Amino acid sequence: MGSKTSRHVAMTLATTVVTVSLAIAGCGRSASSGGSNGDVSPTKGLVATTPAGTKTVPSAIWAVYRDVNSLDPIFAFDYPENTAVSLLCESLLKQSPDGSIGPGLATLATPSPTKLVFTINSAAKFWDGHPVTPADVVYSLDRNTDAKLGGFYSLVFSRVSSIAATGSDQVTITLKQPDYWLPGELASMPGIIIEKAFATKQGKNYGTPAGSIMCTGAYKLKSWTPGVGVTAVASTSYWNSAVKPPLVQQITLKGVPDTTTFTSGLITGAIQGGYTMGLSTLPQLKSNPAVKVYQGPGWATDAFIVSNSKGVLGNEKVRQALSLALNRQAIISSVYKGAALMPRWIANPGTFGYGETTFIRAYDKSPVMTQDMAKARKLIKEAGAQGQTITIGTSSQLSNIAAVTGAYQQAAQAIGLKTKLDSVSAQNYINFFIDPKARAGIDGFLTLNYGDYADPAALLTTIVLPGGSQNYDNFSDPAMTALLEKARGTADPDKRAALVAQAEARAAVELPWIPDVQPTNITIMSKGLSGATTSFAYMFAPWANTLGGTG
Amino acid sequence: MRLAFLGRRLAMLVASLLVASFVIFGALYLAPGNPIAALSGGRSLPPSSIRVLEARYHLNQPFLTQYWYWLSNALHGNLGISITLRENVSSLIESRIWTTAGLVLYASVIILVLGIGLGVLAGLRPGIVDTSALVTSAISAAIPSFVAAILLITLFAVKLRWFPVLGNGTDFVSNLRHFTLPAVALAISSLAIVARVTRAAIREEADREHVQTATSRGIPRRQLIRRHILRNAAIPITTISGITIASLIAVAAVVETAFGLNGLGAYLVAAAQSKDLAVVQGISLVLVTAFVVINVAIDLAYAALDPRVSQGRRAG
Repeated sequence: MGSKTSRHVAMTLATTVVTVSLAIAGCGRSASSGGSNGDVSPTKGLVATTPAGTKTVPSAIWAVYRDVNSLDPIFAFDYPENTAVSLLCESLLKQSPDGSIGPGLATLATPSPTKLVFTINSAAKFWDGHPVTPADVVYSLDRNTDAKLGGFYSLVFSRVSSIAATGSDQVTITLKQPDYWLPGELASMPGIIIEKAFATKQGKNYGTPAGSIMCTGAYKLKSWTPGVGVTAVASTSYWNSAVKPPLVQQITLKGVPDTTTFTSGLITGAIQGGYTMGLSTLPQLKSNPAVKVYQGPGWATDAFIVSNSKGVLGNEKVRQALSLALNRQAIISSVYKGAALMPRWIANPGTFGYGETTFIRAYDKSPVMTQDMAKARKLIKEAGAQGQTITIGTSSQLSNIAAVTGAYQQAAQAIGLKTKLDSVSAQNYINFFIDPKARAGIDGFLTLNYGDYADPAALLTTIVLPGGSQNYDNFSDPAMTALLEKARGTADPDKRAALVAQAEARAAVELPWIPDVQPTNITIMSKGLSGATTSFAYMFAPWANTLGGTG
Repeated sequence: MRLAFLGRRLAMLVASLLVASFVIFGALYLAPGNPIAALSGGRSLPPSSIRVLEARYHLNQPFLTQYWYWLSNALHGNLGISITLRENVSSLIESRIWTTAGLVLYASVIILVLGIGLGVLAGLRPGIVDTSALVTSAISAAIPSFVAAILLITLFAVKLRWFPVLGNGTDFVSNLRHFTLPAVALAISSLAIVARVTRAAIREEADREHVQTATSRGIPRRQLIRRHILRNAAIPITTISGITIASLIAVAAVVETAFGLNGLGAYLVAAAQSKDLAVVQGISLVLVTAFVVINVAIDLAYAALDPRVSQGRRAG
């Protein structure tokens, strides 16, 4: 009897994991793609926001790809948790839909390169009416590095030597060395401010279904029932008078793992909205009169992770050849249904949150990674790699991963390489990322990856810096490291952008990871709604404050 | 006699629970994957966080120690804490158990009423009724629940808009509306099996010598059907209905996921994916208990239906 139940579970597991991946990353079924087919322009046709709503709406159901697991910002590390925390809570600094960073609960001054002084907005209040104090700020930031809590963002604070209240409305972060990446992180989950007294009283229940949370956002938590959803209501006493009171009175974030359910829910009005990337049913939703589909700047990159520098992909020319042989347009149309851009860099151009002119000028100088078989074959010959084998870690149960793997197999074989697949179950795919034993013997695997704020460096540094969290093959290019380290210590945004751009341009040639395509951020809302953030910034900053009814 | 029977069954239940909990714990322990990785959505976590979380949930302990932690807590009524939600497993189960119970009950009613009804009708009325019942049940037996779910959603929720696509509903009437399509999806293939077994049992009994004799003695047909055919056919029908209903508990996972219902099955799948051990253990115990209890109920039913059957022994 026990075995019967578990066998059944194993079966259903497979189907559910597949649908989960569908919801987040799309499916490989080929169909005619609607709309722009892989535009190379980083901004063409993309919108970061939608017109603010004008009418009060009593309630809306917003879908996330699975149930929310935590409302504690230090454990928010995936789409559902980020969507929920950013709806309810606010950070010290704030990312706008275009990725630029400005004042949030506080304004930032940098009297010296190693001092960040935050002045808390005097109006800032928690839902319970208590003002946001320096003690709350210090407490919230310190939680990130509290070893007993085990938060996911401790590395972000690696250059911080102290965080202290230095005035009645002031907090100063003293750095060991200049760190102009920290403000970006403080405009993301690590910078979310919660109420100290409330959180201390809640103890380990803070941010769990058994406990509650205390934040400052325009929406406040009403209830959270696992399996049913996180329900937020418009706060009647929101502190920021610059923001109009929210029009949607109640928003429920509901986990909808199944693509079919998500799609039919939107069509029938059981679901009013949701964010997604590479949804297999996108063409169907685009043509449905009940919903509107928006494409916004994305910050995530679909990429091939090169995880073995000792194998055939350790040779730069082979990586370049593989990249040149890849049919990216096919991935854009079959996996992303047109909702992705052709890459020039590893970074998605949606991440140009500062120094935009500098970034775009440099970006346009790097070539679009279009297919060029002749050049690819020539490089393979130069490398003497014909007939060699690359082993790709994949999962046939994750349809988007399987589809892109297929494109790589085709590319490799066309230029005279052999391919071998190491296919694992959907739930084991994660081991490629976390277990060196799982990576042994494979040359690379696929990912959809992003950084915490709009900066091309946010993802690149995890890939190319020695000791970077996603530098699986110990990639090291001293020149690129120097550029990024210098950028980290450069105050001027344009100068910093120029340094990061140089590093990105090098990475686009050296290909520590091979970028496949740059997905745009997809927002789907029922016809009667407008006003949600439509760029990837929804992951880090309030996205529903101007959401409301139309017409 | 009956008490001894129940006592034996209770001991068997405890033994099944113990074995099942060990087997499931072991299987999940051996299965690759990492419960902490499931928290991060596939991106790398700092090693310090991983160490803290491993220590908190005893993940760094040997298998038997981990199992002992779980077992000794469970014996004290504490089913542990979900790693993903950081919440007590018992309260997580409590909030979902009625969804699954309601769904299985609703589907059982459909199976019993329609399945047995159709089977009896087909068994007693050879010809067009029987043939059409056979064809219908052959088709519906071939439809797995997940296919039925997609078909029903497309037709009745998206096209006709008679029923909602997802969710549980708020009061009894809306619950009934929300649960109708899932219950039909869950019941459809089992219904056909119950109908077919019922039809065969009725046919067999109707052809028995004592029924022929009774007919020739001029016993009214109505009485004949009730006392001689249905009564005797009841045991195989009870057996198949019981097994079918017990198996619904496991199949419910698929249907709950498809219709976005907040039930134990869908949660079990999600928990097993993220290797949330305590949750998988807790839900499995509930499911094993339900399965055993249904089987005891069937055994008691045998005795009521046929006094010759001593309790604990199956006839059929």
